[in-house]
This record gives sequence, structure tokens and C-alpha cells, in this order.
Amino acid sequence: MEVKTSKGHLKVHKMKKKVLRKQVRAQHTLMRHEGIECISHPTQSLVIANAGLGNGMSRQQLLRIVEEYGLVETLLMPPNKPYSFVKYGTTEEAKKAFDALNGKEVTLEDFGQNIVLYINFVEKVFWQNAVPTSLPPGLMVIEKIISPEEERRMLESIDWIGDEDTQNAQKTLKHRRVKHFGYEFCYDNNNVNKDKPLPGGLPEICDLFLEKCLKQGYIEHKPDQLTVNQYEPGQGIPPHIDTHSAFEDKIISLSLGAEIVMDFKHPDGHTVAIMLPRCSLLVMAGESRYLWTHGITPRKYDIIQASELGQKVGTITADVGDLTLNRRETRTSFTFRKVRRSPCNCIYPSVCDSQKGQQRQVQPSFPHNDMEASKLEQEYVHKVYEEIATHFSSTRHSPWPRIVEFLRSLPKGSIVADVGCGNGKYLGINKDLYMVGCDRSKNLADICGEKNFQAFVCDALSVPIRSGSCDACISIAVIHHFSTVERRLATICELARLLRPGGTALIYVWAMEQEYKNQKSKYLKEKNDSKDKEEEINIGGVQRPLSDQMPDSSSQDSACSDRLLNDLNDEGCAAKLVADSRLPVHTNRTSFHSQDLLVPWHLKGGTKKKGESIDTVSSPAGSKESQELSPVFHRYYHVFCEGELEAACRSLDCVRVQKSYYDQGNWCVVLEKL
Amino acid sequence: MKLLTHNLLSSHVRGLRPGGGFPLQIQASEVRVRPVPFNAAFVARLVPRLRWAALLEAAESLGHPSELPPEPAADYEGDESFLRRVHHILLEVEVLEGVLQCPDSGRRFPISRGIPNMLLSEEEA
Repeated sequence: MEVKTSKGHLKVHKMKKKVLRKQVRAQHTLMRHEGIECISHPTQSLVIANAGLGNGMSRQQLLRIVEEYGLVETLLMPPNKPYSFVKYGTTEEAKKAFDALNGKEVTLEDFGQNIVLYINFVEKVFWQNAVPTSLPPGLMVIEKIISPEEERRMLESIDWIGDEDTQNAQKTLKHRRVKHFGYEFCYDNNNVNKDKPLPGGLPEICDLFLEKCLKQGYIEHKPDQLTVNQYEPGQGIPPHIDTHSAFEDKIISLSLGAEIVMDFKHPDGHTVAIMLPRCSLLVMAGESRYLWTHGITPRKYDIIQASELGQKVGTITADVGDLTLNRRETRTSFTFRKVRRSPCNCIYPSVCDSQKGQQRQVQPSFPHNDMEASKLEQEYVHKVYEEIATHFSSTRHSPWPRIVEFLRSLPKGSIVADVGCGNGKYLGINKDLYMVGCDRSKNLADICGEKNFQAFVCDALSVPIRSGSCDACISIAVIHHFSTVERRLATICELARLLRPGGTALIYVWAMEQEYKNQKSKYLKEKNDSKDKEEEINIGGVQRPLSDQMPDSSSQDSACSDRLLNDLNDEGCAAKLVADSRLPVHTNRTSFHSQDLLVPWHLKGGTKKKGESIDTVSSPAGSKESQELSPVFHRYYHVFCEGELEAACRSLDCVRVQKSYYDQGNWCVVLEKL
Repeated sequence: MKLLTHNLLSSHVRGLRPGGGFPLQIQASEVRVRPVPFNAAFVARLVPRLRWAALLEAAESLGHPSELPPEPAADYEGDESFLRRVHHILLEVEVLEGVLQCPDSGRRFPISRGIPNMLLSEEEA
């Protein structure tokens, strides 16, 4: 009979406690970050933490593990998540699995890594499947276009032995191997040297294949440029569009040696994952060639559909009941292109290097009426925020201290509206408040929703909240996006309308004066910072000679009287009058020379709009990797002079200006509803 | 969208009679119940701000009859079981997918992934 020493007992007890602690921690993480509720009583369904596609567990391995304990009705593996769900036929089976697997150490087959499983019961197994995606327009994948024999011959024909320097560079940087024929592709400007063709042209071995493609209509012209890329597991290529001015429309790419998943992304952020089998031909034409970016994520496995392993071509739908990992192998691509001899004239000028210069002709000017104002804001505020939402959100993470202070000073149980809430930066600051955000950008509001904040989409000029229902509201860096005095005043009126008597509103707008009391704002200070973070309120401005102070125009007249608007117009600060002239484009991190202007936003990391899982690869500038056209967006701003915001507020008789101050390049007021 | 948020929302279609935009009718296709830590003082402060009838109606329409009285009792602040029921209906029931309909104009506003889209077109605003 085994006699357990008291030490042995203690050890077992400690281990059990440890497992329990970690299991509870897993519960909390699942709840807080994923909204998955774990329950304490046994059910048929389990969530298994640390066994997900996101942390390297394949479907095959997990199935084998869970099948042991009973009949598996459902096995759901959400892509890129470190957990999965399993539903058994009976609760008893689930309980068996729980007892056996909770705290169990497992070796991941594909990676040799050890992980520990933590199990919890859940009410039911459910995952919202993404809507099945269709192929990008113009894209085709033709399977089995060459035989395995032809594949072998083509692979053997490549002589990778180039000069020693290149070889060594490639080895150390772990870059994919590249070889060009016909014309050299230059990675510095992502174009070909059209005047200096490479001797030898395209390898003879490709001739027959290209004839076939021409005949089938996959290409219109015989290609005269070939790039061979070889990808080892873990290598990829950043998302890019093949330069418009360099190559004609149809681009074909043959996949040899192994299959791979290629990611296509539309500028609106929507992505499609395409499986390219061995011996298949990818044809990119039209929209898929000119507008969508394509790239290969550098990783060692792809997520694909389990039921058609190695067979399925085309899009990979996110049916989480059917996903698994596919280990990558060495894949070689032969990409054939026809060099372009005339400028590109496609219908996608925003991403076309031939046409980009012409874009500047359509330059916006200062609006003269409400309709022009609305149109200007639509093009240069709303559209832009929708496109840049994800990148913008990633640069808005540090809450501003004085705004936090304002929120923390509000009594518990206050109802607070954040008008122009952006990515919801302030919505979670004070848990004792009930905060509701609204934004004009659907994509930004959706980001708030992903964070489980209360938010909705609307225009700040017309907020669908009942009058007098808010204890407080904030509007941070919003009103400066409205392009007429009347519209800016109207937004302040709306904020006042939402407040109950005694309620307070905090408003922040960009200041014309970026250097105030001899202190430069953060924006100006960060001028030499190579990171283009563009924290919202940091915009550079030289110290401008300040005009006379705005007269105290508190009036007994009703809010938006003409006389007051005239005052605001005429007695503004001594900035250049832009009426009847084009809106100037500002140079970031310098001073303002005009109150009404366009401020550039340089988009980084593609135009992801949602929290998507596609990795973007950062690449050293000028390297072989950078093949991106980095889009620039212009946003309209009216920057405020000292006293301008305060005067506008004082013109309303329903509010009192409680406080007025300058904070890091912004003019700020606190209003109280009378 | 929680029911407290719904209680604040009012349709702002142009030309409505005063109060004609409230309350928005909820047609939900996906509702989620999610626990939220209960804080009696927090809930008690919210009660007087609510449009009570609209709250009860909204709860009913979601199939979550709230078991709440037609009006809060005078001593509601001390009644924990009442406050817990209010807490549940205000903060723990969320509409993830559905539509909000303006009572007077019939205009429909979609709710997607918990976010209502209340944006009006140029003509409607």
C-alpha cells in the first residue's frame, strides 16, 4: 500500500491549487477580452484555452485529443485565437474531458513546443462565422496548369548562384531569393529600367508555357519580364500593388514546389485569403491588379480549410468549424509581366503612380455656403477617417491628463456623452460613469463596439440623444473639422442641448498658436521624430503675433444671431484670409500659416479598418521589401485663435463659460448649462 | 446597444413633432446577455434619469420582461432586489443585431455588432 508522506500531499495540493488558479485566470481573460462566459456547472460544451489555431494547435491534433473522452459533436477553432470550443454528446463526456485535460501538458505536434491546457465549461458553443468572401474582381486561379514533370524541370532550370555578395546578403537577412529576367526590377523605385534590358531575355523553358497562356487568353501580350521568387517557410513579401507605370494589366504568377496562402486587401480594409496550390497559375487583372494589394505573410504555417487540405483553390472562408494549420514548404513563383511603354491610364488614380501628379488639380477651396461646407467635410474629413480608421486608432492610445481629470471629477452614476469619440479612448476611463460615444465614422464607432463600449454613428450637428439627458459631455478635437462659423457654432449648441441644467461640457480644439507662453507644443517638439505618430492635438505652429483679444461678446440675443457671427468673422486673429482661395496644405510638425487648411495623414500598415489578423511587415526603407505606395490623405481643419472658442461659447445664452485654458496646442473650454 | 443607451436615443429625423422621435422601437435579431458587476449606488443614481415606460416597453420587446413595477417605488434607493432588476435590464441585456424604428416617421436605423447607425442623409437631417 502506498503511503503518501505529508510532503507528497502538500506537493499535490499545491499543484492542484496552481492549476485552479490558472484555470480561473483563463476564465477571466476569456471573459474580459473575448466576451466568453465560463460557467461553473458542467455542460456539454467546453472552452479549451491554449489549444487554438492562434497558438499553433492543429485541428487534427486537437481532434485526436478530445475524441478520447467521448463523441465530439462540434469542434470550433476560431482563426488566430488561442482557444477552441468542443461540444460533446453528453455532459458526462464533457466532464470526463474536463477532469482529464484541465492542467494537462501537451506537446504541439508542428512546433515541438509544450503548452498547458485550461478547460472551462460554457453555456453553448457559438461563433459568428464571417460572411463568405468572393474573389477580388479580375482574379483567377487556374489549377494544374503544368504537370509535375514540367514543374520539376522549371525548378531545376534556375541557377541561384549569383555573385557572392548577394548570396551572403540574402543569407544573413533571411530574405526570400529573387532572380530577374528580361528587365531588372529596381526595388528602390519599384520600377524597371526600361532602357536597359537584361541580356538573354526570358528562359527558353518558359516559351511553351507562355504560348499556352496566350492561347487561353490569360494574357494579352507575350511577357518580357520574369521575376522568380523563392519563399522558405517563414518568408513572405509585404502587401503591395505592382507598380502601374511599370507593367501592363494582366500579371500571371506560377506557383511551384509548394502551396501557399496569399492575402489580398482592398483599400477599404476588407481582406481575402487565397490558396494557391502547386502547379497553379494566378492571374491578376483589372481591379485585383491595380487596386488590391497582395502579399504573403511571413510565417511557417497557413490557416486553411481542413476538409479540402491541399485541394481547395480560391478563397478561404472563415468557417471556424473547418479550419486547420498547413505547414509551409519552399515555394517558388514565376511571375511574368509585360513592361509598359506608355503611362498607365487605369480607373484607380488614387493608387496610380502615372496619374498621381494630376490629382492635385482638384483642389478644394474655402466653402461659401452650407452645402459646399458639407461637401468639403465629406471629402476631407468623413471619407478620410473611414479609410484611416485602424491606423488612426492605433495612434490614439494615451488619454490626456486634463480630460481624464474632468471625467474623474464627475459624480458616480453620471450619464456622459462623448461627441466625436473616435476609437473610444475616453469611454472606459471612469467606470463610475455611464458613457456613450458617437462618431461620424462608422469604422471608428465599430472599433468602440469591439471594445464593448456603448457607441453609435451620427453627425455632431444632429445628435440623436434626447435633450437634457446628459450630466456631462466631452467633444475632443472634433469641432475644428467643421468648415464654417455657423456649423461650428451649431455643434456647440448641440452639446448644450444634450446637457441637463447644471451639466458641464468639455471642448478641445486645435490652436493656431502652437507655441504659447514660449512653450512649444508636443507636436512642434516632435518635429525630428522619425516616427510619424501624429498624436492628434500635436500640430506645429510658429508663434504668431496675436491679434487683439476677442471682445467679450456675451449677448442677450439668441444663440446664433447674425451680428455675433459677423463679429467672429471680422475680429478673428490676424491669420491669412482664405476665403476665395484654395485651402493650403500644411506641412506636418510645422507652424500654421492659415486658420483653414488641409493636414496630411500618411497611412501606415495598409488601410485596415477592423482589428484584422493580417500581419503587416515592416521593412527597412529602400530595401528589396518595400514595394508599397504609401497613401496620403488630407484632412480639413479650422484651427482656432486664442479666444475664438471662448467667444463662440459666450455667444450662447444657455451656457456659461466655467473655464477656459490652453493645453498642449489646444484651446479648451468647460461650459455649464444654465 | 444596452437598454440604458436605448433610453437616451431619440430619432432626429427633420420635421418630427416634439417628442415624436422617442422611444425608438426595437426589432432585435440578436440579443446578448452579459454579466456586469452590480453597484447599487450607481444604479440608484440612474433611476431618476430614465424614461421608465420606455424602458419597460423596450425590455418587453426583447422578450426580457423586466418584472419591474410600472413606476419606481418611493423608497427604491434602499430596495436592493429592485435595483438588481433594474441593473440587469439596463446594463446586462444588449442588442447586437437589429433595427431601431422611429415611431413617428418609420425611419429605420440598423444596429450592427452592437452599434446603431443613426446617421441621416442630407435630405433627412
